[in-house]
Amino acid sequence: MAIKYYWEDFIVGWQYESPTRTLSAQQITAFAREYDPQAYHTDEEAAKSTPFGGLIASGWQTCAVGMRLMCDGYLLETSCIGSPGLDELRWFKPVRPGDALRLRTTVVEQTPSAKNPARGTVKFRWEILNQSDKVVCLMVGSQHYLRRTPADAASSS
Amino acid sequence: MQDKKYYFEDFPPGSTWEIDGPIVTKEEIVEYASKFDPQYFHIDEAAAQHSPYGGLIASGWHTVGICMRLMCDRYLLDSVSFGSPGMDHVRWLHPVRPGDRLRLKTTVLEAKISRSKPDRGSVLNRWDVYNQDSALVMTMEGWGILGRRPRSP
Repeated sequence: MAIKYYWEDFIVGWQYESPTRTLSAQQITAFAREYDPQAYHTDEEAAKSTPFGGLIASGWQTCAVGMRLMCDGYLLETSCIGSPGLDELRWFKPVRPGDALRLRTTVVEQTPSAKNPARGTVKFRWEILNQSDKVVCLMVGSQHYLRRTPADAASSS
Repeated sequence: MQDKKYYFEDFPPGSTWEIDGPIVTKEEIVEYASKFDPQYFHIDEAAAQHSPYGGLIASGWHTVGICMRLMCDRYLLDSVSFGSPGMDHVRWLHPVRPGDRLRLKTTVLEAKISRSKPDRGSVLNRWDVYNQDSALVMTMEGWGILGRRPRSP
């Protein structure tokens, strides 16, 4: 896929809001059976007698869905070369079958690489919201991007 | 509530668990990433050769998922778990490649009984994930809420 967005494009305050993705009970249990088979993620009946009162998605599935929304929304058209990690990850509210999730991305910091003039880092705030506009999950983390124009292109010649 | 094997009391600060994981296959890497993280260096072996990683690597979320499963199978499913409020300092330090065998080490950093709900407590765990060469591929810290051992009547 052609690259549309480079490091330079992610200026502080840049925002993106994705379309929604609805999670079904079947998707919730299928993910959890593979990666997080706790009863309130895998068993609709047993989940009723847990503190959550019913089936809820694994928090890791919420993150994964947020990642997919990011990929489909813009990331696959960027020069992103990966992520060093997240400073913070919070699950505020359970995600239940039928919830329609969407991703809101906000750029909070844009830093050129100190070592590599062809790269830069962007720090983001990623919020995953449900259909009631409640933030169910918050992530603050960074990604590395290639620059459209290396920092030394103008000065090194 | 049915009896479980592990309770809050079994996770004092300083205690560790070491859990050996499976070999991560190319098929699994591509399958996970095709669903959740279809960046080319996670799904396209040929294109990944030209990435900064020089080959196919697993999505960081996939690495987390594999380790969550290890923790579930080793002790979490045999404890009373009330979920987690979140994680801090998630670091993907080293790529996970097809054929890698992961190992999870968890270390309890802090444990505190809930003031409002005395039947449970919070445990702060550090996760260190290693590959077969003992390279540290991922670390993070997160709170888990666990039920306390019921007193005998």
